[in-house]
Amino acid sequence: MSLVWVYAVRDGDADDPPAVSGVDGERPRVVAAGTLGAVVGTVADEGFDEAGLAAAMEDLARLEALARAHHAVVVEAGSAGAVAPVRLATVFRDDEAVVAMLRERADEFKAALDRVRGRREWGVKVYADTRAGGDDSPAPAPGDRPGTAYLLRRKADRDRGAAGRERARAVAESVADAAGTHAVDVRRFALQDARLSGRNEEMVLNATFLVDETQEAEFRAAVTGAGDGATVELTGPWPPFSFATADPP
Amino acid sequence: MPELPSRIDAQPDTVGRDLGRLVLTVVELLRQLMERQALRRVDAGDLPDEKIEALGVGLMRLEEAMVELREHFGLEPGDLNIDLGPLGNLLGPEAGRGR
Amino acid sequence: MTLAHPDDELSLVDLLDRLLAGGVVLTGEVTISLAEVDLVHVSLRALISSVSTLAVGPDPGEGDGA
Repeated sequence: MSLVWVYAVRDGDADDPPAVSGVDGERPRVVAAGTLGAVVGTVADEGFDEAGLAAAMEDLARLEALARAHHAVVVEAGSAGAVAPVRLATVFRDDEAVVAMLRERADEFKAALDRVRGRREWGVKVYADTRAGGDDSPAPAPGDRPGTAYLLRRKADRDRGAAGRERARAVAESVADAAGTHAVDVRRFALQDARLSGRNEEMVLNATFLVDETQEAEFRAAVTGAGDGATVELTGPWPPFSFATADPP
Repeated sequence: MPELPSRIDAQPDTVGRDLGRLVLTVVELLRQLMERQALRRVDAGDLPDEKIEALGVGLMRLEEAMVELREHFGLEPGDLNIDLGPLGNLLGPEAGRGR
Repeated sequence: MTLAHPDDELSLVDLLDRLLAGGVVLTGEVTISLAEVDLVHVSLRALISSVSTLAVGPDPGEGDGA
């Protein structure tokens, strides 16, 4: 038995399905209903039913493989026109169920496609040294009072930390403001732990912007120019995963 | 991309270490709260010098004890933290770094 | 300034930030959708962070000086 994995929804009149392998090694295809088309793939029951997908969520190697394949299909579909990406691990019984869904949610998908048409998603991350600056030397304590000296050191650490974090927040907001001037919409992600990036600095901004293709040059220039010494990292373009729905998740 | 292990399982020989980590994280939280409270008192300026000194010595010894316990369990400062998902980390974003 | 092109190696965390939290959520007629799976329960980011540390090692190559 088989199931149907959904990658994205797009305008129905585009004719070629994406020419990359899907999450089960399958060739994606398009299921059409009205003026919309769902980019889907036929996948095996085993591994893609409820139990199989739940297990995949806890198996990082498998989750990574699914995520990369899903992403690759959506990127390829997006190269041919506007797409509304669908959440990872969305599976239907069969094509008829997909058609029914497209008919039921037609207005919502058309609105989503209009929202992202001619626009791409760009990720902006900012790293800053939140410990930088400030007076490095704690107030002196008498040599025979080690406990007091310890407290004064901790107080100096804390004060320096607060000032550093405040400066970092200001830098993050200035980059977000500069980027936002040339973007249609923005979403914030959780900050990533420094251990993930391998950097010594701390991440102070993790945002993603929906940018009109006609504004991309200005957007990139604004992001490059902002940050005042902090490290700014731009990724993209991404298919508009974060902007397919009207409200922030 | 480096190959990721396929499962995260709690092996029997790491159970002790995991429990130790949990306990030490809670102790570390309390230690940090005590330190912050002590600094507030120092800032307020309502403690005589001898009391400040005694507080400082006590906290210093507590920090040394924590370092020993942590090393006994083979844990790094950054290991003492618990991710509460959308609530962030128990000990805050900078716990374990820079000290 | 780093600019990543679509076919460059994408960070798994960046990918999952978008694929797990973004995208249209379909329910109702759907047989299975993990949209409602409580990822906090799995503490995915904690898993990813500990796995990345295990996989990459304690001293990743990239960084801005000591």
